Amino acid sequence: MRSSLKSLALLVAVLAVFGVVAAACGGSTSDSDAKPDSTYDYASLSGTLNGSGATFPKAFYEEAIAGFAGVAKGVTVNYNGTGSGQGKKDLAAGTSDWAGTDSLVADADKATFKGPFLYFPTVAAPITVSFNLSGVKSLNLSAATLARIFTGSVTTWNDPAIAADNAGVTLPSTKITVAVRSDGSGTTSNFSKFLAAAAPEAFTLTAGDTVAWPSAQSAKGNAGVAQIVKATNGAIGYVDLSDAVASGLAFASIGNKDGKFVQPTLEGASAALAGATINADLTYSALNAAGADSYPITAGTYIIVYSSISNPTQASAIRGWINYVLTEGQTIAPEVDFAPLPTALRDKAIAQIASIQG
Amino acid sequence: MSDLFVSTESGELLLRDTTKRSRRIRNRLALIWMVGSVLVAVVPLALVIGYVVIKGVGQLTPDWFTKDLPAVTRRAGGGMGPAIVGTLLITAVAAAMAVPLGVLGAIYLHEYGGRGRLGRLIRFMADVMTGVPSIVMGLFVYTVWTIAHGLSAFGGALALACLMLPIIIRTTEEMLRLVPDELRQASYALGNRKWRTIVTVVLPAAFGGITSGVMLAIARAAGETAPLVFTIGAARNLNLSIFNGPTTALSVQIFGNAQTPFEAAQARAWGAALTLVALVFILTILARVVAARVARRHNA
Amino acid sequence: MDITPGGSSGGDVASLLGVGPGRRADQLFYSVALVAGLFVLAILGLIAASTTHEAWPAFRSQGLSFVTSSTWIPAEGKFGALAFIYGTVLSSLLALLLAVPVSLGIALYANEAAPSRIRRPIIYVLDLLAAIPSVVYGLWGVIVLAPFLGPNVYSPINDAVGGWPVIGWFLNGSSGRSFMTAGIILAIMITPIVTSLSREVIATVPRAQREAAYAMGATRWEMIRLAVLPWGRGGIVGAIMLGLGRAMGETIAVALVIGSQAGQVTTHLFEAGDSMAAVIVNQFGEASGNHRAALVGLGVVLFVVTIIVNVSARSIVARFDRRAQGV
Repeated sequence: MRSSLKSLALLVAVLAVFGVVAAACGGSTSDSDAKPDSTYDYASLSGTLNGSGATFPKAFYEEAIAGFAGVAKGVTVNYNGTGSGQGKKDLAAGTSDWAGTDSLVADADKATFKGPFLYFPTVAAPITVSFNLSGVKSLNLSAATLARIFTGSVTTWNDPAIAADNAGVTLPSTKITVAVRSDGSGTTSNFSKFLAAAAPEAFTLTAGDTVAWPSAQSAKGNAGVAQIVKATNGAIGYVDLSDAVASGLAFASIGNKDGKFVQPTLEGASAALAGATINADLTYSALNAAGADSYPITAGTYIIVYSSISNPTQASAIRGWINYVLTEGQTIAPEVDFAPLPTALRDKAIAQIASIQG
Repeated sequence: MSDLFVSTESGELLLRDTTKRSRRIRNRLALIWMVGSVLVAVVPLALVIGYVVIKGVGQLTPDWFTKDLPAVTRRAGGGMGPAIVGTLLITAVAAAMAVPLGVLGAIYLHEYGGRGRLGRLIRFMADVMTGVPSIVMGLFVYTVWTIAHGLSAFGGALALACLMLPIIIRTTEEMLRLVPDELRQASYALGNRKWRTIVTVVLPAAFGGITSGVMLAIARAAGETAPLVFTIGAARNLNLSIFNGPTTALSVQIFGNAQTPFEAAQARAWGAALTLVALVFILTILARVVAARVARRHNA
Repeated sequence: MDITPGGSSGGDVASLLGVGPGRRADQLFYSVALVAGLFVLAILGLIAASTTHEAWPAFRSQGLSFVTSSTWIPAEGKFGALAFIYGTVLSSLLALLLAVPVSLGIALYANEAAPSRIRRPIIYVLDLLAAIPSVVYGLWGVIVLAPFLGPNVYSPINDAVGGWPVIGWFLNGSSGRSFMTAGIILAIMITPIVTSLSREVIATVPRAQREAAYAMGATRWEMIRLAVLPWGRGGIVGAIMLGLGRAMGETIAVALVIGSQAGQVTTHLFEAGDSMAAVIVNQFGEASGNHRAALVGLGVVLFVVTIIVNVSARSIVARFDRRAQGV
């Protein structure tokens, strides 16, 4: 008994030592086959870029990080999906080098930052209204019905409001389980802003990174909301397209400004982006866009960085990372269900990279 | 209750149970309740361990122990190396802080404090401390350490040490109590001072029991999640530094991956659960074996 | 000075050696041990002081509505924790309801009715149950148990009796992530503690009591009812309360399966809700300012409540111990 205990302890010790040694030598492998931008010198960059923020673009940034690691071997990029709210706070506090956010920094919070910062639009995607209802494969929802569901006025699936949007479809009497975000989220911000713009009489709550939804189960991150919808019959929630597709969820077609019910596709997103007004700081809103093919809940996302960075190596690394996102990244985006930027906007963003001083 | 009677068939003297039928039924029902309770307890254990093993065992490749966490969380790949090392490192640092303090504290309680007022107060407070929720320990360490010094393995270790301390004090005191006084008196009779008696006679005599208690406390700490969530942050790569920079641990990885719908992420959660459960079981079983050997030596 | 070398203070004999080379070492060792013992008091005091200090702004701005209002809207600065306190209490009571009969049954079986060959495996099984980390229970609960219970157990029950009076007030709702699922997971987690403490209590019942009952012709169940349970009542109540304290403090497993729905002060057991500990762990990461203070405030409330439960439990057990020793 004693000798077998000893050999067990020895095995555990060997495994532990092996693990520590091998892990110190090893690293993550990149399995992206993105074509390197031959005109940009990625190989000379070095440093560690810690980022945090929105979970909306997380799947895209992870792919971009993996691809970037292949061409810029000296740079390690990390991204922690903590939600847009926390991402902005981390950048303001200086604990991160770049922030991912779907929502803009509030005027009141601008003073908390250590200096002026720049918005870089990166990708856009539809925010799906995913649902899980046995026996129902497709669903139309007008903005007003959607607002009533999320404010708790419509509580069962066979409510007349939903039936009115879906002529000829038999809806069960299942109770609606609404799934929302528990953390401060740019996805929540965009979704609630859409409801406020498209159905102002029905949506009586205050839009923003957090909304006081009256009776909804909540979870962290887009993935958490997707998990609730996937696991619960009768659930409905707002999830970015990438996570919704990866979770195998069904999406509702949403009534857009022109009165058409549009599915959340990259084409619908691009149609919505095409008509959006770009502000001077490169922010824009594609919500509730006009156009028959526009998907009305299309959201853009940004990377925020300081415009003046003290460490020149770090500044070069940041410029290289953002350049990668805006060049190769744009070809990677559709592979994970994100819409690339319209060419004009993308060129403006690439031009803004030069404004990062350091 | 039974009495003798003469059987009408064979004419033999037989014992017959004369207890009233309703009492016998109630007795039988109580037995069914008791046995049923045992089965009811076994079923969830079997289900939980069964799922953990079946869903997690497929993850345990050599890569699992050595590779970093994958960059893309919803796809399979990478490993749990940094989390395994993180759990071991944080628990080891916590034990390094809690074990000396706990053993010395128990020595004070048993060898010096006894039934004095201070001794009773400390013993009472140690009992109270075992009931403090682990999340409150995490909030406490966040308030006094993490805000000032940032996310690090040390913050997590501090929180775990606070959890382990009362457990170690209580179990060590129990073990010290089991050391017969004759041993101490023999040591004094030989001219030893008190501190030498404690260090060279009492502690070695109680060593097995103390080790067993410490291992149980370590097993408990290794599985904790709440105190680590706000104190160690999150990291994808191996971080061997105790004071610098965020790191990760198996329990935190399980918690995060359990809240996603992606098959690959959930599979990683099951694999991490299997790894953690295996670690905790090994420690618990070792602790029991040591305790059994100590008991045998006492009774021998 | 007492010369008798008795009990743990045999050091009196050694300190007769009032002078001599090792004396300073003795005093040094004593001081070190004393400081180590005082650490417990220091840490506990520091926990109470620092958390209350952090939470004070929230307590001051909310006043009594912190515990009487169920409106928790951080964006508007409203922090009413009533629904979370309710959720903690409800899920813990459900856990007790499910765990106590099972734990008592196991404890009685192990001590009274089990053949000695089965006794040790039962204790091992309980040890293993206790050793499984709570996050693993939470993982199993959110991926396996909750998705199963919602459509297969709660929905049929709700459809059958949800409309009835009285029973329909409780057996209502159909969400896999709910108070009930949290209660079930908590019950699994506290069963080992309640069982092992009850076993210790039951084992101290004097044999004379048992034999007296048998001598009067009692069945085994009657013996338990007449001799064991009355004798061990205090200790068992103490064990149950310790289980309650543990259930109230449990964070991770509950956070994963309770559904995180705010504002739920309802008797519908199959609906989602929230608990204090779950709210803290879910919202702390990105809270700041008054929101963070409010979350630490929740921690203070939880701290106070669990301490009250634990201290009461231990005093009940202590009173039982004294009675059992014939004092």
